[in-house]
Amino acid sequence: MSRAEVDLQTSVKKACNTDEVPPKRKHVRACIVYTWDHKNSRAFWNAVKIQPLQSDQVQLFKALIMIHKVLQEGHPNTLKDAYRNREFISSLGHVFPPQGNAYGRLINQYDKYILQKLDFHRNNPGFNGMFEYEEYISLRAVNDPNEGYESILQLMDLQDSIDNLQKLIFATIHQTPKNLCKVSALVPLIAESYGIYKFCTSMLRAMYQQLGADDALSILFERFDSQHFMLRDFYTDCHAIKFLTSLITIPRLSNNPPNLQVGDDGATLPPR
Amino acid sequence: MSKSLVRSIKNVANGYSNGQISVRNATSNDPSGPTTYDMEEIASYTYQSQTDFLEIMDMLDRRLNDKGKNWRHVAKSLTVLDYLVRYGSEKCVLWAKDNLYIIKTLREFIHFDEANNDQGAIIRVKAKELVALLQNDERLRHERELAASSRGRPGGERRSRRN
Repeated sequence: MSRAEVDLQTSVKKACNTDEVPPKRKHVRACIVYTWDHKNSRAFWNAVKIQPLQSDQVQLFKALIMIHKVLQEGHPNTLKDAYRNREFISSLGHVFPPQGNAYGRLINQYDKYILQKLDFHRNNPGFNGMFEYEEYISLRAVNDPNEGYESILQLMDLQDSIDNLQKLIFATIHQTPKNLCKVSALVPLIAESYGIYKFCTSMLRAMYQQLGADDALSILFERFDSQHFMLRDFYTDCHAIKFLTSLITIPRLSNNPPNLQVGDDGATLPPR
Repeated sequence: MSKSLVRSIKNVANGYSNGQISVRNATSNDPSGPTTYDMEEIASYTYQSQTDFLEIMDMLDRRLNDKGKNWRHVAKSLTVLDYLVRYGSEKCVLWAKDNLYIIKTLREFIHFDEANNDQGAIIRVKAKELVALLQNDERLRHERELAASSRGRPGGERRSRRN
């Protein structure tokens, strides 16, 4: 085994130790940087598999946060490698009984979300792990509205799952000094939900430009509006947590959903 | 005082080049700096040979990936890199874009010092700004034009551009 792989194993081990604190950023970062340096993540998955994740709930929960972060920020090949390890990731959700204590439920739901995310990326390889807006995807999707419709439905399903997961996390946070471990799982969820939100905004605008007022679109528009309010409340809750506000920029959404019947630069379109 | 002495011994013992020594001095653990003069000097190396350029970037890369205790190394390296992206050779921009993940992943840098203050905040802000600059080609081009035109003017850059 190469020196880099040994270092990687140490980082994985330290990122998901049994201390009930957030996974240390420097170790998670080392895993992310490894995937870029080597343009693959096989060694990362091998290192995760040899951790004794079945023995401790906190350890497993931290491992899921780490996996989620590496999927988001790692080299694009990480998503493909992860899909090959789908069985392994799926098995993690059943280690602890989901109807047991808080961590059991959190692990089960978080694991389901990661699988849903992996399936999405498998079907839509144009997206990066953070759903950062790439203009060319929306253009391509508009050329084939059916494909665009399908992607946007799946993205909205993901957004709903994020919302359920964040609600569960907030429900299990109690006034104890140890809850930062759970809170730290919100960090990747905030980034991801905002990426999806921004993409849906410009994608729906592009589709409106192409199709004009359409029954199929108005259903999406309604769902988008309700997700806007969901997200606004989610971000407001997050703004109350000092750990989060000092670490990342939490977006603020306006009280009204953005107008989708305009061009992407905000200019109103002539009626069709 | 003794720390800078140790550093100058290390510079000789590890056989660092002049360019690398100026990067190490500019991104040290001293609470002050880097000065504009330091950064000008580093930028001028990036216009010289490919070897000089690579040595500079290699040293910055090592400093950027330093551990939390050396958070000043990281913070100062981001300052230097931000300067190089504006004032250094075009190759610096390409390098920074190729290695964007190194900067991006610093946006969540955390380090608590002995007094339990989070010294990572300054790094998170610098990394965020640098990523935003690198991802906006138009703004970057504008900033580089501004930087180029400020050279040679009184109060502007003293060092002349490579012909």
